[in-house]
Amino acid sequence: MRNVIARLGMTASLLAMVTSAHAVEIDHELGTTDVPENPERIVVLEYSFVDSLAAVGVAPVGIADDNSRDRIVQAYTDIIGDDWVSVGTRKSPSLEIIASLQPDLIIADKNRHSAIYSSLSDIAPTLVFDSLTGTYDVALESAATIAHAVGRDAQMSERLAEHRALMSDYKAQLGDVSGLSIQFFIDNGRGIYLHSPTSYNGSLLSWFGFETEMTATDGDTYSDAIVQTSLEQLSVLNPDILVRGKYADPGLTDEWVGQPLFDNLKAIQSGWLFDIEAHNWSRLRGVIASEASAASLVDIMAQIER
Amino acid sequence: MPLAVRYVLLIAVVVAAALWSLTLGQRGDIHLSNILSLLWVDDGSLARSAVIDLRLPRTLVALFVGVNLALAGLALQAVTRNPLASESILGINQGASLGVALAVVLPFLAGVPLDLMAILGAALAGLVTFAIAGGLGGRLDSIRLILAGVAVGAFSYACVRFTYTLDDDLSRLVINWVSADISSVSVQQVLPLIAWSFAGVLGSLLLAHGFNVLALGDGASQGLGIDPRRVRFLGAALAAVLTGASVAVAGPVMFVGLVVPHLCRFWFGQNHRALVPAVALGGGALLVLADAVSKLVRFPYETPLGVVCALIGAPYFLYATLTARRLA
Amino acid sequence: MTPGQGIYRRRASLVALLAALTLASAIWSLGVGAVKVPVDVIVNTLLNLDGDQQRYIILKSRLPRVVLALLAGGALALSGAIIQAVIRNPLASPGIIGINSGAALFAVLLVSLLPDLPPAWMPVTACLGGLSAAGIVMLVAHFRTLSPAHLALIGVAVGLVFEAGVDYLLVTSSDAERSAPLIWLTGSLWGRNWDHVSVSVAPLMIFAALALVLTYRLDLLSLGDASATGLGIRVPLLRLALLAVATVLASVSVAVVGVMGFIGLMAPHIARRLVGGSHRWLLPTSALTGMLLVSLADGLGRAIAPPLEVSAGILAALLGAPFFVYIMLTTASEQDG
Repeated sequence: MRNVIARLGMTASLLAMVTSAHAVEIDHELGTTDVPENPERIVVLEYSFVDSLAAVGVAPVGIADDNSRDRIVQAYTDIIGDDWVSVGTRKSPSLEIIASLQPDLIIADKNRHSAIYSSLSDIAPTLVFDSLTGTYDVALESAATIAHAVGRDAQMSERLAEHRALMSDYKAQLGDVSGLSIQFFIDNGRGIYLHSPTSYNGSLLSWFGFETEMTATDGDTYSDAIVQTSLEQLSVLNPDILVRGKYADPGLTDEWVGQPLFDNLKAIQSGWLFDIEAHNWSRLRGVIASEASAASLVDIMAQIER
Repeated sequence: MPLAVRYVLLIAVVVAAALWSLTLGQRGDIHLSNILSLLWVDDGSLARSAVIDLRLPRTLVALFVGVNLALAGLALQAVTRNPLASESILGINQGASLGVALAVVLPFLAGVPLDLMAILGAALAGLVTFAIAGGLGGRLDSIRLILAGVAVGAFSYACVRFTYTLDDDLSRLVINWVSADISSVSVQQVLPLIAWSFAGVLGSLLLAHGFNVLALGDGASQGLGIDPRRVRFLGAALAAVLTGASVAVAGPVMFVGLVVPHLCRFWFGQNHRALVPAVALGGGALLVLADAVSKLVRFPYETPLGVVCALIGAPYFLYATLTARRLA
Repeated sequence: MTPGQGIYRRRASLVALLAALTLASAIWSLGVGAVKVPVDVIVNTLLNLDGDQQRYIILKSRLPRVVLALLAGGALALSGAIIQAVIRNPLASPGIIGINSGAALFAVLLVSLLPDLPPAWMPVTACLGGLSAAGIVMLVAHFRTLSPAHLALIGVAVGLVFEAGVDYLLVTSSDAERSAPLIWLTGSLWGRNWDHVSVSVAPLMIFAALALVLTYRLDLLSLGDASATGLGIRVPLLRLALLAVATVLASVSVAVVGVMGFIGLMAPHIARRLVGGSHRWLLPTSALTGMLLVSLADGLGRAIAPPLEVSAGILAALLGAPFFVYIMLTTASEQDG
């Protein structure tokens, strides 16, 4: 009997050894990659992957934070702390700094990092997701896959359940918005850029039931998602609500004040032009980011009710 | 055909092109049938506002940028005695782009106005081109000048494209500017441009005789009592100012300065006195048309003016080099 | 000692000095970057000795980049020296027969039309683009029997047409958020690895050897068409062969390191100042100058503002520009006098 127990114990510990050496197979945009179980040193090259890791309480060792640490907003630093190393810009991260961190997992974006996928894979197993041009649903799916890769499936399903409940709650607070069209855009001082229905923000807004005046294009490239436009085209679209993110102050839209075409926009007439934090809306995507966006939408709708 | 009739024809082209361009846009309530009444009668409608506040400034900017750049090209060709010289071939436009890109990207240049940086960049690029091409003394080999300009232009563009790889909001600003996107110009930008155009026409007319004499060679011009150095300097200065003023408003619009004087010579001959008004009108007509095309290429989205002009101008340059008889 | 020997010695020692400088800059650039690696660690890693090593950074990141910088820098400079001899214009370079713009247009077309194709296709496509642009230029020149100067202008014009296409695609369909093709357009070794070395090393070596074999004929060509024909050389054929060699050298380089337009323009000039116009000396010296410029620029680009990398193409141009402008100004005044 004692023998059997000893044997069982041995088998169990053997099993444990086998599984810990065993890798997790992850399907992603550029194929299938074996990720070591429970990776601890993770480098992320887009903000949405910070979001996914923070959602399950994992702190990355390296972030492509565009060399400005305050782009990792407080909602994230509250969870992941302040210990990450900046690995450069999202567009051209420093491979050397990534390598020097000796990561066991790298998470990269399909649009930005496909060209350096082989170099990244030389450093560590690399997963690639569509963050830049992905929709809200894609962001949630990627988050679930990332959680699976880092061995936090349980936490993520709990977090996602909480997320869905929270979002449904926000949706309930917003009420029935099916009659209202809304448009989110970025103003950088020389041009305005509409986030189309195929973009992350567009898909999030339509998840809440808002209408859009833009016709969706078939493509899913960046130029389909983010469309530069003029005042004239905006006046033709003429949505009920305008949500504006300004990267420049004064923005181009501020110069338009006083022009009949701008002043006669439905959103301007009714005072339904709302400013939100441009960085949070246009660069951050994911579980935590969408909750923050939803909260600011609830604020906006509260002002409209009034 | 008498000269006056040819001018009137060109004016008619400009007006027709401008009216057509004014009817183009996303709004469905502006047509050729009502465009004149919208222009003259303030009926308080949104269509009137779209025409007066948005489309008219834009068309005027295209018109007068065309005038300025074409005149600058004419002056450059006279000064260098090279029929292929122009702002974009000599690297001046690209230098202006680099100036702007630096102002947007480098933090310590943040306070400097973009148009000042454009003019500085244009002037510097022009100087470097002439320096590489054989000094500022005036002995210029035409091929060498063009190759020097192309090299300076290529270097400037490499630097500009590097800024595209930086932060997303910065790269959008630079692209917007470098591709000469004039879809959001305002009325305030039009007036100084018109003033520059009048100064440009006047200056070119005053220099026209000098330009004619330059074409005969330095020896002949001294015989005729004209200092070639002085004409060259004034001509280059005129070109620099006109380019700078246009680039500051619209961004670097390529190839106008090459195409227009070239085409006008076919029709108006080599006499600069006849050429100056023709080139001014032709430049305006070409850019107004190009602007109209830029609205149509990917309707309802806009294609920046600079890109359209490059697509028109570069093949024309190829054509010009293939047909030019005496170059080197 | 005869004066001939004196010149020979002076040239030989200059070449030796250049070679030493190139080697030094290559070793220096192994040590610099976002992560500084001390000399002993470099040595440990390279020779696989005991002690601290930085295997990825040295062996997989910087070493292939140094090798590529030397290969491409040398090839571009060789190509430029040949093209300057053929076109007989001091401002000629691989760029003026359309190679850079052709490669750029094809690369950007690939990215915007077939965004899902693996990035490994980019060097191949870029090389094809460079070859086809140069092919167009040479065909036109062949059928219209143009003077070298006219050939250069056609090359510039074809280049500008392709360049207009690049701008259209950059602003409309392709976009600045996909930065890898843009970084490539500025001439950079960012993200390059041994894969890029292995595809480019054989063609570059073969065609560089061919270029050196043709040295003697280049000297004949520089005597002028009439004299060369008198010496029994079929000038148009030789010109075509030389341009073909130069085109392949430049296209393959551009395919792996991106658009580095200025090495081919500047390096031969600097070399000519050092050792004179005889191609026996000029070609190797140009190649060494090109290697030195690119490897120095790549190291500097990593060291200036880490973690951001400044493109080697831009820095190489900036490094060479003062010499180049000085040379141009002084040769111009010599011609005037």
